[in-house]
Amino acid sequence: MLSRRALLAGGAAVAALPVDARAQDLSAAASSGVAAWPTQPIRLVVPFAPGGTTDLVARMLAQGLQDRLGQPFIIENRPGAGATVGSQQVAQAAPDCHTLLMSNIASHGIAPTLYRTLRYDAVKDFTHVALVVSNPSVFVANPRFAGPTLADVARLSREAPRGIDIASSGSGSSNHLLIVQFGQAANARVNHVPYRGAGPAMTDVIAGVVPLMSDSLPSAAGHIRQGSVRAVAMASAERHPAFPEVPTFREQGIDLVSDSWFGLSGPAGMPPAVVQRLSQSTLAVLAEPGLRIRFTELGGTPGALSPSGYTEFVRAEVARWAPVVRASGAEVG
Amino acid sequence: MDLLGNLAHGFYVALSFQNLLFALIGALIGTAIGVLPGIGPVATISLLLPITFGQPATTAIIMLAGIYYGAQYGGSTTAILLNLPGEISSVVTTLEGYKMARNGRAGAALATSALASFFAGTVATVVVAGSGPLLTSVALSFGPADYFSLMLLGLIISAVLAQGSVLKSISMVVLGVALGLVGTDVQTGQQRFTFGVPELSDGIGFVALAMGMFGIAEIILNLERPEARSVLKTKVGSLFLTREEFRRATPSVLRGTAVGTCLGILPGGGASLSSFGSYMMERKVSKNRHLFGTGAIEGVAGPEAANNAAAQTSFIPLLTLGIPSNAVMALMVGALIIQGIQPGPRMVEAQPDLFWGLICSMWIGNVMLLIINLPMIGMWVKLLQVPYKFLYPAILVFCCIGSYSINNNVFDVYMTVLFAVFGVVCSKLKMEPAPLLIGFVLGPMMEEHLRRAMLLSRGDPMVFVERPISATMLAIASVALIAMLLPSLRKGKEAAMAG
Repeated sequence: MLSRRALLAGGAAVAALPVDARAQDLSAAASSGVAAWPTQPIRLVVPFAPGGTTDLVARMLAQGLQDRLGQPFIIENRPGAGATVGSQQVAQAAPDCHTLLMSNIASHGIAPTLYRTLRYDAVKDFTHVALVVSNPSVFVANPRFAGPTLADVARLSREAPRGIDIASSGSGSSNHLLIVQFGQAANARVNHVPYRGAGPAMTDVIAGVVPLMSDSLPSAAGHIRQGSVRAVAMASAERHPAFPEVPTFREQGIDLVSDSWFGLSGPAGMPPAVVQRLSQSTLAVLAEPGLRIRFTELGGTPGALSPSGYTEFVRAEVARWAPVVRASGAEVG
Repeated sequence: MDLLGNLAHGFYVALSFQNLLFALIGALIGTAIGVLPGIGPVATISLLLPITFGQPATTAIIMLAGIYYGAQYGGSTTAILLNLPGEISSVVTTLEGYKMARNGRAGAALATSALASFFAGTVATVVVAGSGPLLTSVALSFGPADYFSLMLLGLIISAVLAQGSVLKSISMVVLGVALGLVGTDVQTGQQRFTFGVPELSDGIGFVALAMGMFGIAEIILNLERPEARSVLKTKVGSLFLTREEFRRATPSVLRGTAVGTCLGILPGGGASLSSFGSYMMERKVSKNRHLFGTGAIEGVAGPEAANNAAAQTSFIPLLTLGIPSNAVMALMVGALIIQGIQPGPRMVEAQPDLFWGLICSMWIGNVMLLIINLPMIGMWVKLLQVPYKFLYPAILVFCCIGSYSINNNVFDVYMTVLFAVFGVVCSKLKMEPAPLLIGFVLGPMMEEHLRRAMLLSRGDPMVFVERPISATMLAIASVALIAMLLPSLRKGKEAAMAG
């Protein structure tokens, strides 16, 4: 049963390829010793709980990769410890190219500085394949809050006897770090109010318990569209195509850009031929118009980085967040 | 459109062949996974999520909602038959339900659970349909200080749960709070009591704790006493409720429905309080409170009604604010977002098919569950007649799969084993596990709300008495505390006078 299905799928794939491409593929496979990857279902480890942005992005990507590579992609949610539990498991997996990871800003950008005892190296212990999507953080406010711009927020924070409250989805998250950066850059007196995830924090912002929140655009997008909160500033380099009316931090005179990102990675030592094929398939999936529209609606920008480009990107992110994490005072033993 | 028109439209959507079919499929899958210990709706829905990509949004959400209720029903079944709570809500069901099963009234307990759930589900559905958007403002008027006071009230009243010594029960609550504090501190991000184990940084899993301390510990104890196993094989008695049982259960169902409907609306952990709340209430106000601890039907009927009512009304924050109140709801939001729909206040106008179709299918799902479950009671009860030597390895295997599937991590299986051993020790010391679980669930939430309230008030504790909701809760809590202490004080005084 299984062998018949595999044969059929294999046959279809071979038939569809032009002759020279097939020859190329075969020689590549022969030289690297990975004949006809993938030969079995691929586990895609999502180091977050199901239902979140990373999970949704992973599922959409998995669907596309499955159609292109002819093997099912199985999403495995392994949440825990700021996405480091799942990441560590993939770092230790065999580089047989059947275990992949949704690498992300938490586990591969911030954790290397935040966690004192992290058991993996975000760059060396992985084969980074492709940047999948990045999305900006955004400051949102309760609609009744009297400060339409960042300058107002900073002014009000200095006028209030004990500063201004800003909520985030958690201590040590990129959204928290943006609050720290904003406090420094705008000379604002901010009082960080951490929550257990974006949902409860958003509830309190809508209710007016906390006037402001630093959130990732995908989780805030719906609430902004519905008017239950007001977007104050987008932490992207340029205005976001889905929210062209929301000014950026830079436009408001505060030079801050904060994107959270997700990418596709595997354990260190994956054969270059497989990495190449996976990277090309991923880029092709990300170029599909249907997926691009969905990602943009979610508030994200599809990535377009080569394996070496993504590796450099991760390295740069680790270096970039290190001083910010230290300034925030957050540290996990 | 008025309410009746909306409901008519909703039924028109929900009763289409496709939607009806998927409501049934959802209810069946939900019941099945609910019965398998530990395999919860979260794992199932995340597995089935890709299937929903190709379905219309309404159909998808109707199926997922069916799984959610189905799991609630199924979870009660294992709690009653095997002392295996899969969720916070069914912990309470084990208290009287499992005792009823051991008294040969498993069929009656299951029927009570199904009928109470159905009744409560119906009432709560009407509440959601009639005043959902209105109730949102109630949910939003609860600030951190109010949640803290509500949880404190719950914790104080939970001393009522003590079946034996009050001192032992309080120490179990405190131990539960301590266990609940393991993990990353929300305010500072610091790790507490994790001993450098990354798997502990998100805290101890509820399923590992509950399954170990209740279900597996019970298996070990059963294996230890051969005579206890034969109890399971005694005659099962009438499968249905006697008239007397029906009369006893009715007022409890009504009270449970009211408690669950109100608490379910609160997104900050109200639903998990509902079955505890109802159980405590029954132990105080029911006419047969002296029977509690020996298999009182009131202790099954009330909490089961409360639990299902809360499961229903916990859709209100999701549908009107777009904010999920638990992991299952988060998955449903994910399913909707993939479909390009943002749940929230505008969904009622923007997606009337989805909104009213879902509400009506909630009720249809409850009818289906009743139809599926009532005839199956006989079958479930027969399960108890399976020789224990075949039954217990099967339960252990499913517990193992269940605890693994939560985070796809073997660590949770080890934790389950650890808590099973701990559960046996507690049982030997006559320490009840239920108060520990209440402390475990409420403790961390209380701490979080307390510290957030203090953070927002810049350290001014007056916030707890200045806010009317919080002040009321605290007043009730103090009255409860005094009422609990007075009899013992008076007794002491009388003894002193006599002496």
